[in-house]
Amino acid sequence: MCGANRTGIATTGRTAVRPYMTPMSSAGRISLALLLGSLFLLGACSGPAKVAVPGHEGAVKTAATQRTERRAFDGAPPVIPHENFGITCIECHDLEGMEVAGTGFAPPSPHEGTLGLSAISYCRQCHVFAVSEDRFVGNTFAGLRQDLRRGGRLNDLAPPTIPHKTFMRENCVACHSGPAAREEIRTTHPERAHCAQCHVAVTTRATFTR
Amino acid sequence: MKRRNFLKALATTPAVAAFSCADRERAARLAEDESLSDADLSWHKAPCRYCGTGCGVEVGVHEGKVKAVRGDEASPVNRGLLCVKGYHLPAFLYGEDRLQYPMKRDGDGFTRISWDEALDLVASKYQETLDQHGPEAVSIYGSGQWTVFDGYAASKWFRGGMKSNNVEPNARLCMASAVTGFMTQFQSDEPMGCYEDFEAGDDFVIWGNNMAEMHPVLFSRILESKRNKPGVRIIDLATRRTPTTDYADLYVEFKPNGDLALANGILHLLIKNGKVNRAFVDENVIFKRGIEDLDQIGYGCYGDNAESYTFKDKGRDSSFAELERFVADYTPERVSELSGVPEAQIRALADIYGNADRGTVSLWCMGVNQHVRGTWMNNLITDLHLLTGKISRPGANPWSLTGQPSACGTVREVGTLAHRLPADMVVMNAEHRKLAEETWGIPEGTISPKPGYHTLDMFRAFARGDVKVMWIQVTNPWVTIPNLDRIQRQPGDGRFVVVSEIYPTPTTEIADLVLPAAAWVEREGVFGNSERRTQQWDQIIEPPGEAKEDAWQIMEVAKRMGMGHLFPWPEDDWHQPMYEEYRSFTLGTGKDLASYEQLRETRGMLWPVVDGKETRYRYAAGHDPYVKKDAGVHFYKAKGYGEKAAFWLRPYHPPAEVPDDEYPYWLSTGRVLEHWHTGSMTRRVRQLHQAVTEAYVEINRADASELGVKTGDRVRVVSRRGSVELAAEIDGRGKPPRGSVFVPFFDESKLINKVTLDAMDNISKEPDYKKCAVRIERA
Repeated sequence: MCGANRTGIATTGRTAVRPYMTPMSSAGRISLALLLGSLFLLGACSGPAKVAVPGHEGAVKTAATQRTERRAFDGAPPVIPHENFGITCIECHDLEGMEVAGTGFAPPSPHEGTLGLSAISYCRQCHVFAVSEDRFVGNTFAGLRQDLRRGGRLNDLAPPTIPHKTFMRENCVACHSGPAAREEIRTTHPERAHCAQCHVAVTTRATFTR
Repeated sequence: MKRRNFLKALATTPAVAAFSCADRERAARLAEDESLSDADLSWHKAPCRYCGTGCGVEVGVHEGKVKAVRGDEASPVNRGLLCVKGYHLPAFLYGEDRLQYPMKRDGDGFTRISWDEALDLVASKYQETLDQHGPEAVSIYGSGQWTVFDGYAASKWFRGGMKSNNVEPNARLCMASAVTGFMTQFQSDEPMGCYEDFEAGDDFVIWGNNMAEMHPVLFSRILESKRNKPGVRIIDLATRRTPTTDYADLYVEFKPNGDLALANGILHLLIKNGKVNRAFVDENVIFKRGIEDLDQIGYGCYGDNAESYTFKDKGRDSSFAELERFVADYTPERVSELSGVPEAQIRALADIYGNADRGTVSLWCMGVNQHVRGTWMNNLITDLHLLTGKISRPGANPWSLTGQPSACGTVREVGTLAHRLPADMVVMNAEHRKLAEETWGIPEGTISPKPGYHTLDMFRAFARGDVKVMWIQVTNPWVTIPNLDRIQRQPGDGRFVVVSEIYPTPTTEIADLVLPAAAWVEREGVFGNSERRTQQWDQIIEPPGEAKEDAWQIMEVAKRMGMGHLFPWPEDDWHQPMYEEYRSFTLGTGKDLASYEQLRETRGMLWPVVDGKETRYRYAAGHDPYVKKDAGVHFYKAKGYGEKAAFWLRPYHPPAEVPDDEYPYWLSTGRVLEHWHTGSMTRRVRQLHQAVTEAYVEINRADASELGVKTGDRVRVVSRRGSVELAAEIDGRGKPPRGSVFVPFFDESKLINKVTLDAMDNISKEPDYKKCAVRIERA
């Protein structure tokens, strides 16, 4: 159960986002495709379900494969990957997120900054527990996967554009900073709070003509 | 980036260390998959397939397969948000056991046959039965998930070709009481408000509806309004605690049928406290009263051994003075006794409805509709709004929610209930029949003036053998009919059942012929949602195998029976002409539908649509083009009431079956957030099935302790009619009060409708799934 509205997530008083990382090295600045390519060359292996976070002693995050498995397709709300602890969702998934011993890092909600309808309060409207491994019947649905190749930029020094819709994902740091963030999309400068100052969403592929 | 460039990039990349195995695996999969990005998909608009909210979705397609959906930010209904069912929409199309070919009964199994053979067989069975037994022996049973096309084709074929009114929808089980509620009060169906009421209102009084789970996106609109506007209140009137209760400012628990007393108690206090809006009432309201004798009305159910149930009552004129005398008995003391609601809460509710400064929105769905006096309850809630003048203005309306995507658009507007014709017309009315016959170009006298069987009587007649052929589309009655064992059948028993479906269900199991149907975006369609919004979508992908849309199936059978003249449109372009013919019924009636072009271009339009403009508030000056400027509120559709709304005096009646020593618990049934109806779609979606895998029985902690039962223990829920074994759930998402249990109905392997009672509302003939007596045994 999640009683976010009753406990008043908007009025917790904690609005500052803690920078999890110091500004990063060259690895953070190389282009996405190059980075992914390097990952590919290292080859596949049966990796751990939980991944250590560089620079964060004891913190673990979710492997990318698990991220995929928790979603029917990229854009679908993830299922809740842990058991029901019998507390409200926002006790752990607050504005900053927290490391939960024995479970992993509880990421902050990406929806927190969302205006209007999507500032939802009933988390389980979209996020459900998986209480069983059972299948009713098989299903051949093959959903859209996360695409990490996009996010174009003019040159290596220019800020990349935002490659996805920002609706319900206004809290950029939820995914781009902190222990939950994937290396591929981790920001080098989490201390700069106003992301949209430099990163803009691509709304069309058409070029300007007079 | 195209795949070739990506690979090229790979080849020239220096190795960078410090990434985990899992991340490397992820990257490898990326390359292998030739992962698409959302920009590679083509995106198309469609309404969601499931409930009556009618959320807009964008459907992302690649190479003929749906790969993703997202909430449509341009949709005024949901503004980009969906619920977990909606987000997982694409997967329901791809269950491994999709029905793809016509299959004919062959002993215990089925044999694949061609469409020609299948359609010939259906046509010959209908013709044979018509010839030998007449039009009352044939039937078609559809649903609130029929598109406008399917419902229109079925209604026109049956009424205009077969000369039978045995056309019924499962919506009889769902919102028939709302239809009779609106018809008895406004002589025109469907709500006056729109979803903008959820931002405009101050107090949201939810009558017997677990809105957080059943209409999650609309509930989120209210929660959002509550967050933005201090002072917004949610009042949850219910017979058990649910996730809705968690967000309520006031929880009012009442005994089954206690809502009848409660509403009268509020009326009593409104009058006593001088909160009646006399100016509004004098101008806009008349008073009516009907038959109230319990013995005369009855419940039409198993206990009465009823083979059929009929009840007719036109009502008589009443007055405000009579109302004062009528509700004088409903003192807080007496109402508290009847309903179990503390007097202070009754007074609090009267203050809410009586506060002229605050907008009140009453919301209801199945708790009120699936009620042995469901029409009365619909009337009483609307009465509260009529007496206080809180109607037909933003943020103040009685708000009837629907549970199926086109319960409004098809069942109520096209008219697929046994007595209805398009645009509020009925078969009993000679002028209405004549108008339909003219529009359909068929001889006068073709349409029978006698309404067909209502759903329960149709299935009882089927069980008796009086109905010999039944075609079932888009619904699963062998899970949903109450007191289910009354309708069991064996193939080869002389009756013939055709089922159009997308997956095997308990209903296809008893069928003689199964026809594979195209679903959702595999065909073109129109749905109408709860707020009078008509929404159109185009076919986006091909259906699997030889699956065909329901309307096509109907038209092909009609053609084989020499009734092809009813569907005179080109085979490759019939949707728009069929819609335009149907639309002609609505123009000039106050139920005017938008043009097909406009539906194509927009995220739906709220009828009446006049001069291309939609109507957010019906009957209201400045909003409804049929109301003169400065006329305030004008109930212009109620010609029989002098263009005023009817306030109905309706008393308390007890439920049909009440707990006793032998069966000491109340049983209520319903849905859960993750599953829709009988789960034939949602259970095939892994995430939804794994969230709620099987049905269970919610038991109060104190009762469970007395029974020696804890969560997960197997128990049997037993009624006079049948039993079902379930896992107990204590203090789960729903918490029934002592002496009461709740079971969801989505699980075809745990048929709770073998236990329920087939008692029904006297006026709407909608069964009451919310109240019967059971006992709990340890299994």
